[in-house]
Amino acid sequence: MYKTVVGIEIHIHLNTQTKVFCSCRAEFGDEPNTNVCPVCLGYPGVLPRLNIEALTQAYTVAQALGCELSPRTLFDRKNYFYPDMPKNYQITQFHDPVGRNGKIDFQGVDGTIHTVRIHDVHLEEDAGKMIHAGDMSLCDYNRAGYSLLEIVTEPDLSDGDDVEAFLLSFQRLVRYLGVSDGNMDEGSMKCDHNVTIHKAGESLGTKVEIKNLNSPKFIKKAIEFETKRQAAVLDAGNRLVQETRLWNENRDVTESMRTKETSNDYRYFPEPDLPPFVPDAAFLQTVKSRQVELPLVRLQRLTTEHGLSREQAEFVSESRALAEFFETAAKASGNGTAIANWMMGDVQKELNHFGLILEASPLTPARLAQLQTLLDSGRIHIKIAKQLLDAIFEENADPETIMISKGLEAITTEAQLAPIVDEVFTRHAAVVEAIRSGDVRQKGFLVGQIMQATNGRAAPALVNQLLSSKL
Amino acid sequence: MTDATPAWKRFRARLTDYVSYAQQWEKKIGSFLSFRPDQVPDSAVAGPLEGLPFGVKDNIAVKGFPLTCGSKMLADLVSPYDATIVERLKAAGAQVIGKTNLDEFGMGSSTENSALGKTNNPWDTARVAGGSSGGSAAAVAAGLVPFALGTDTGGSVRQPASFCGVYGFKPTYGVMSRYGLTAYASSLETPGIFAKDLDLLETVFDIAKGKDDNDQTSLDAEMMTPRPVKTIAILEDLADLDPAVKSVYDQTCASLQKLGFELVAVKLSTLEYAVPAYYTIATAEASSNLARFNGIRYGLRPVYAENHEHLVRQSRSAGFGNEVKTRIMVGTYVLRSGFQDQYYTKAQKVRTLIRNDLQKVFDRADLLLTPTFPTPAFVHGDRSMNEFQQKLADKFTVTANLTGIPALSFPAGLVTGLPVGMQFSAPAFCEGRLFEAARRFAETFAVPDCPGASTEWSH
Repeated sequence: MYKTVVGIEIHIHLNTQTKVFCSCRAEFGDEPNTNVCPVCLGYPGVLPRLNIEALTQAYTVAQALGCELSPRTLFDRKNYFYPDMPKNYQITQFHDPVGRNGKIDFQGVDGTIHTVRIHDVHLEEDAGKMIHAGDMSLCDYNRAGYSLLEIVTEPDLSDGDDVEAFLLSFQRLVRYLGVSDGNMDEGSMKCDHNVTIHKAGESLGTKVEIKNLNSPKFIKKAIEFETKRQAAVLDAGNRLVQETRLWNENRDVTESMRTKETSNDYRYFPEPDLPPFVPDAAFLQTVKSRQVELPLVRLQRLTTEHGLSREQAEFVSESRALAEFFETAAKASGNGTAIANWMMGDVQKELNHFGLILEASPLTPARLAQLQTLLDSGRIHIKIAKQLLDAIFEENADPETIMISKGLEAITTEAQLAPIVDEVFTRHAAVVEAIRSGDVRQKGFLVGQIMQATNGRAAPALVNQLLSSKL
Repeated sequence: MTDATPAWKRFRARLTDYVSYAQQWEKKIGSFLSFRPDQVPDSAVAGPLEGLPFGVKDNIAVKGFPLTCGSKMLADLVSPYDATIVERLKAAGAQVIGKTNLDEFGMGSSTENSALGKTNNPWDTARVAGGSSGGSAAAVAAGLVPFALGTDTGGSVRQPASFCGVYGFKPTYGVMSRYGLTAYASSLETPGIFAKDLDLLETVFDIAKGKDDNDQTSLDAEMMTPRPVKTIAILEDLADLDPAVKSVYDQTCASLQKLGFELVAVKLSTLEYAVPAYYTIATAEASSNLARFNGIRYGLRPVYAENHEHLVRQSRSAGFGNEVKTRIMVGTYVLRSGFQDQYYTKAQKVRTLIRNDLQKVFDRADLLLTPTFPTPAFVHGDRSMNEFQQKLADKFTVTANLTGIPALSFPAGLVTGLPVGMQFSAPAFCEGRLFEAARRFAETFAVPDCPGASTEWSH
C-alpha cells in the first residue's frame, strides 16, 4: 500500500492598487493592454520600481505563516522565453525570499488539526495573458507585473481531502489578512501540486508536479488519479520520471508536459536593477500591526466562548467581516448560538432577497443583537422577530423603533389582554357557550380570534391562561 | 559659455548655416543616426543650459526620437518616454538635436558594430571614433554640439573621448540615473558626458545627477568636498602601450609633476583579472537584459511565424549582429546552473578583490592616472588587434565600471595629428577631484580643435 505525499506551490495576487514594479493600475478585467506602460511592457531602458505595499503584504503573510523574516531580501531574475512575459525574465526571489521555515495549522475534513510546514514565501511579478483566436495568438499585458506572492509548502499533505481542506483554510487566512481575495475561479489564487508516493518506512519517491489545477473541484480528482497512475507504474516494476504534468479537465487525467531533461535552465542571478531591501523597525512595526487573529484560532475561540457547533463556528468565522459581525452581536445579545442561527438562516435569506452583502446591508451587529434581546426578553415572539428582521432591511431602522412605531410589542399583561378577550367572548357568545357546555374543540377558534384581534402580538401562554380562567 | 547672447538665439537665427555646417561634417563622419535641428522650437526653456543643443547616444530614450541602439532589431522603434537625465537637461533649457551612432547595444570599442551607420573619426576619417559611444564623441569633437550624452559600461565614453580629443566623463555608479538607458549590463553601466569645455561638462553633470525614483539604484550622493589634489598614483608596471600613448603618458606625468603634484608609484596586482571578470559579468547580464527583444511588442518581426519559438528565432537571428549574438551566447554559458560558481560567482569575487586593491591605492593617493586606452584611434577594419585583443585593451577603463568609481578621460597630447587621452580615476563620490586635476592639467595642454572644426556651435 502506497502513501501519498503532496506539497503545494500557491500563487496569490496581492491586493495592491498598482503593479509590483510600476505605477500601472492592477485591475482585473479591463480592456486588453490598457493598464500598461513602458516599464511593464519591457521597453528598452526602463527599470523596475518596487511597490513597497506589495512588499509589506508579502512580509505580513510570511509573519502570519510563522516564517523567519528575511533581514535583507533580494530579488533575482528567472530567465526563460515566454510570449506574455515582456522582459523574458521574471523578477522573483530565489536566494533571499521574504520568509522561510514557517508552519501553519489547519483543520482537516474530520476536524482534527494538522500542521503544514512552509518552505518559503517570496514576492514576484505575474506575466500577461495569451488569447488564441483561430491561427493567431494575441497578448494582453494588463496582468503583466501584477504583484504575485508564492508560498511553497513542504510535502506535508497526505491526500486530496487534506489538500482541499488546507487550501480552504489558506484562502481564509489571506482573506483575513486582507492581502488577497484568494479567488481561484478568477485566477487570483493558483496552485501547483507536487505529488509523490512511497511505501511506509521508505523514503519519499520521485516528485511529479501537476500544473493547471485551477479549481478546487479538480484537485482531489487529480491527486487521486496521479496516485493511481504512479502506483501502476511502480507495480509494473517501472521507474517514475521526474516531470511536470498538466491536468486535463476534459478527460480527467494528467498528461506529461515536460521531463527534467527538457526543462528550462532558469539561470537565476541577482537582479542588478533593484538594491537589496532591508526592513527597518518602522516597516516591521507596520507588518506586525497588520497581523490578525488567525482564522483557526478564532474559530476555536468562538466555539468555546459561545458554545457553537462546528458548523456554526465555521460559518461565522468564514471571513473576518462575518467573524467581527458575529462577535459584536453575540457579545451585545449574550446569546451566541441564536446569533449564529440568525446569520446562517434568515439573515442569509434576506441578503439574497435584497442582493446585498452583510457589511453593506442595513443589518448591523447592534440591530441583530437588539432583535435577539427583544426576543429573549419576551417583548416579541419569533414570528414577530422574523417580521422585524425583514423590516430592518426594508426600512433601515432599529428593530425596537420599528416594533414601537408599528405597535408590534407582545401583549404580556392580563390588564392589556383581558379587555380583548372579553370583546371576543361578546362577539362569539355562542361559541363560548358551546365550549362551556363541553365542546372544547372550539377553543382553538377563540385563540385564533384573539390572535387576529391582537395582530399576533398576544403572548400565547397568556392567551391560554386567560381562556382557562374565563371559560 | 562666455557669449552673452543666449545660444539658442544664435542657433535659431542661423539655422541654415548651422545645418549646412553640420551636414558638411556629417558626410564625412556620420556621427548621428537621427538629426533634427529644424525641430528645435523657436524659443528655449529658460535655465542654465538655455537653448544649448545636445546629442544623445541612441541607446538613451528621448521621447519622439528613435531608440535604435544601433541595431536592426530596433531600427523602427520610437521612444515613448524620456530618460530621466534627458528630462532634467531639457528642463534646464537644453535641446536634443539628434541621436548619435554607437556599437550595437553598446557592445564594441569602435562603433563599427553599428548596424545602422558608419562613424569616422573627425581627426582622420580613415580611423574609427572609438566606441561604443563613437557618434557622441565625434559630434562633440567636430563642433556639431557643445556636449553629448553617452553610456559607459566598460569604457564606452572614455575610450572614444580619448580617440576624438574631448573630455569623456563617467560618474560614480548611482549618481546619475540609469532610467532610460538601454543598459546591456545593468550593474556596470552609467550615463556619461562628452564636452570640450570642462566647465560645461561639470554644469551638465550637476543638472543631470541626483536620486531618481525611477532608478532605485540611484542615490543623492553627498559629494565629497573637493580637497586640493596633491598626490596622484601611477602604475609601476605599464606594458603593451603603443609608443604614441607611452610618450603622451610620460609627458603627462612630467607635466603633472611640474604643476606640483606628487606622483606615487603603485601596483594593481588585480588588473590582469579585470577584463575576464568584466566580460563574464557583462555578458551574463547582457544575455538577460537583451532577452526582451523578441519582435512581439516592438522591434523586428518576421512577416510570418509558425509559433512562438519560430517568431523569436527569426526576429533575433535577423535583428542582432554577430558581436551581440556572441555576447548573449557567452553570457548564457556563464550563467548555466551548475557552472555559476566557476564563472559568474567567481567574477563577482574578483570584483571585490579589485575594489579592495583600488581602495589601497586611494589610501595613498588622491587620484589614479592611467592611459585611457593602449592605442590612439585605429584605422577602420584594423586587424592588428583581433576582437579578443581589443577586449583586453579595455583593462584601464573596466576597473572603474567593476568598482563603480568615477573616471575622466582628458585630452593629453597629439601625436602625428591624432589626439591621445589619459584617464584620472577617483574614489566613489570624489568627482570633484577629477575636474580639479583636469583643469590644472589644461594649463599645460589646451584641448585641441580638430582640423576644420568651428567653435561657433560648440558653446
